[in-house]
Amino acid sequence: MSALSWTSPGFFYLLPLALLPWLIHNQSKTIAWAKLLPVDPLSRWINLLLKSLASLIIISLLLALAGPYIPEQTVERYGEGAEFVVLLDRSRSMDEIFARPPLNTLRTERTRFKSKRVVSTDYLLEFVEGRPDDRFGYVYFSTQSVEILSLTYNKAAILATIRAGGLGKGISKTNIVEALQLAARMYEKEAYRGSRNVLLISDGGQILSDAEKRRLKKIYEQMNLNLYWIYLRSVRGMTLDETSQDSVLWEDLPERKLHAFFKTLDVPYQAYEAGSFEEYSAAIDDIDQQQYQPLLVVERLPKQSKADVFLWVAFGGLLIWAASFWLSYIGVRQAYRKTP
Amino acid sequence: MILSYPRRILLTAIIMSLSLLLIVAALWLPPVPRDVKIMDSIFVLDITDSMNVEDAVLDGENLRRLTWAKEFTRRTLLEMPCGAHAGLAIFSEARSLILMNPIEVCANYHDLTQMLAQINPPMAWARSSEVSKATYTAIRQAEEIDPKPSIVFLTDGHESPPVHESLFPKFQGTPGEVKGVIVGIGGKDLLPIPKTNEQGEIEGFWEVNEVMHVDVYASTRGDMAERNAQKPRTEHLSSQKKSHLETLANRVGFDFVSSPRDPQKLVDRIRDVSDTREVTIDYDLYAWLSGLALLLVLLVFLPYRWIGLGDDN
Repeated sequence: MSALSWTSPGFFYLLPLALLPWLIHNQSKTIAWAKLLPVDPLSRWINLLLKSLASLIIISLLLALAGPYIPEQTVERYGEGAEFVVLLDRSRSMDEIFARPPLNTLRTERTRFKSKRVVSTDYLLEFVEGRPDDRFGYVYFSTQSVEILSLTYNKAAILATIRAGGLGKGISKTNIVEALQLAARMYEKEAYRGSRNVLLISDGGQILSDAEKRRLKKIYEQMNLNLYWIYLRSVRGMTLDETSQDSVLWEDLPERKLHAFFKTLDVPYQAYEAGSFEEYSAAIDDIDQQQYQPLLVVERLPKQSKADVFLWVAFGGLLIWAASFWLSYIGVRQAYRKTP
Repeated sequence: MILSYPRRILLTAIIMSLSLLLIVAALWLPPVPRDVKIMDSIFVLDITDSMNVEDAVLDGENLRRLTWAKEFTRRTLLEMPCGAHAGLAIFSEARSLILMNPIEVCANYHDLTQMLAQINPPMAWARSSEVSKATYTAIRQAEEIDPKPSIVFLTDGHESPPVHESLFPKFQGTPGEVKGVIVGIGGKDLLPIPKTNEQGEIEGFWEVNEVMHVDVYASTRGDMAERNAQKPRTEHLSSQKKSHLETLANRVGFDFVSSPRDPQKLVDRIRDVSDTREVTIDYDLYAWLSGLALLLVLLVFLPYRWIGLGDDN
C-alpha cells in the first residue's frame, strides 16, 4: 500500500473555508437577551457537533476535489514465460523479397511478394502478442548497437518498436557481433527472473575474429543464455549445416561460419532456417512452445482514485445536516404557528 | 433581501438536500463517454555531428543541440494530453529511421523517455547530414503508418554536403499530405562542429579542408563557377539555418518554429497542424458534481451579514 497522492493539491489552499461554520451564524436566531434561555447542555453539544460536521463536510469535499489517488503500483507474481532480447537485422539485404520463387519456375498462382523485413516483423508481432507474460527487450544495430528498448513488460512499447523495424529501407552496414554482445550485457544488470533468451533474426552472418569469439563465448556461457537464430535463407538450397550436396562456394559463407561458432558455445542454441512462410512460422511456434517456464512477472496496477472515500464522508455528514435542518424547520414552524 | 428565521432554516435545509443529491450523483453516476481530440506524431531527432555544437539555450544554460532536442522532446511528451500518441525516430546520413511507432504517451511515458535517453551520436550510421532528404524519407515512412502521424523534425538545418538553392533535392510527395513541424535548434553564430569517429566519440573538430563547401552538382557546372568561387568557405562551421529550414518547411507544407521555449506551445502547434482524431474516453463527472455540492454548502455559510444581506432577528 503506497501513500496517497493528489492530482490537484491546489485545493488545499481552500481548506481554511472549513472555518466558515464557526465564524458565521446564518442559521442562529438572535435572542434579545441570551440569559433568557435556559441552560441546555444537550443543545450546546448538538450545536458543536453540527458545526464540526459542517467543517468535516467542507474538508472532505475539498479533499475529494483535490483528486486523491494511490499511484500506479507494481506487484510481482509467478507466471509462465521467458525473457527475450530481440535482435532484428535492419541491413539492406533484408529489403529483398522473402522466399522468392526461382526465376525459371512457372508461376502457378499470384503470390504477393513481401520483403524479408516485413515478413520477420509480421511473425515477430504475432509471437509477441501471443505471449502475455514475457519480458522483451530490443536492440537496434547498425555499425553500433544500442539498447533502444530495455527489457520491459510493456507490450505496447515492444510492439511499436517491432513495427517501426518493418518500415522504410535498411541500413548499409550492420554489426551482428556488437549486437549479440550488447544483448548479453542487457541481462547482466538484471535480477534473474526466468529463462533468458536472445532471438536473432537475420539473413546473413558475419566472420568473427578470435578475440570476438572469445568475448562472446565467455559472456554467453557466463550468463547461460539461450540463443535462437532464425536464419532467412538468401542462397537457394544452402543449409547452415554442411551436407553432401554442398557447393564449394558455400563453404566460406559468413552464415555458415557464424553457425559453426554458435555450435561451439556451451549454451542451448537452436538455428531455424526459414526459406518459406511455413518454415518461418514453424520456427516461431517451436520457440513459443519451448519457452514456458516459471517467470517472475511484474504487473502494473493502474492508479486508483480514492475520491469516493471522501465523498462518502461528505455524504454521511450532509445526511445528518440536512436531516437536522428539516427537523428544526418543522420545529420552528410549529413554534411560529403557536405564537400569534 | 432579508429572510426571516424559519425561511433561513428552510433554505438551508433545501440547499443541503440539493448538495446531498449532487454527492449521491457523484458517487453513483457512471462515467460518461466523451470525445477528446488527440494527435499522432513522430519526433525525428537529428543525430548528425553538427548537433554536438553547444549553442542551444535551455533554462539559461548552453547545451549541446542534441541534448536540447532530447530534453525538449521529453518535456513536450509530458505536456501532451493523455490519449495522444508519439513515436521516435532518428536522422543521420540522408534518411530518417523510425525507432518506435507512435504509442500512447501517458501509459508508455517511461519506455518512451528511456528510448529517448538512448538516442546518441554513435547511432549514426554515416557521417553526412542531408536534412531535406531525411525530411522526405520521414514523410514517406509516415505514410506507411496507420493512422498517419504528423512529423516533428528537430534539427539545426545544417546540410552536409551543402545544397545549392537552385539544386534543391526534389520532393516527390504532395506538400501538406503528411503534416508536420520543423523545430530549428541552435544559435546565430557560426561555431566549429565537433567531429565524431566511427565509434561516435568526439575527436576534435571538423577542419576547413575536411568538408565540402559547395554543392556537389553545382561544383561541376560551369555557369555557377563564379558564384561558387565567391561562396565563403564556412561549411565546417554551423549555426541554425533558419532560412533554409523555412524553405524546406514551405516545400513539404510543414510549419517552422525556431528555438521554441515553451513545450506547451509546441504541443499546441502540433495539434494545430495535425489531423486530429477523436478518441472516446470515459469521463468521470464526479469533480464537477462534488464541486457544485461544495459551492452549495459554502453558500450556506457565506458571511451575508457583513455585506448587509443578513438580518438581526
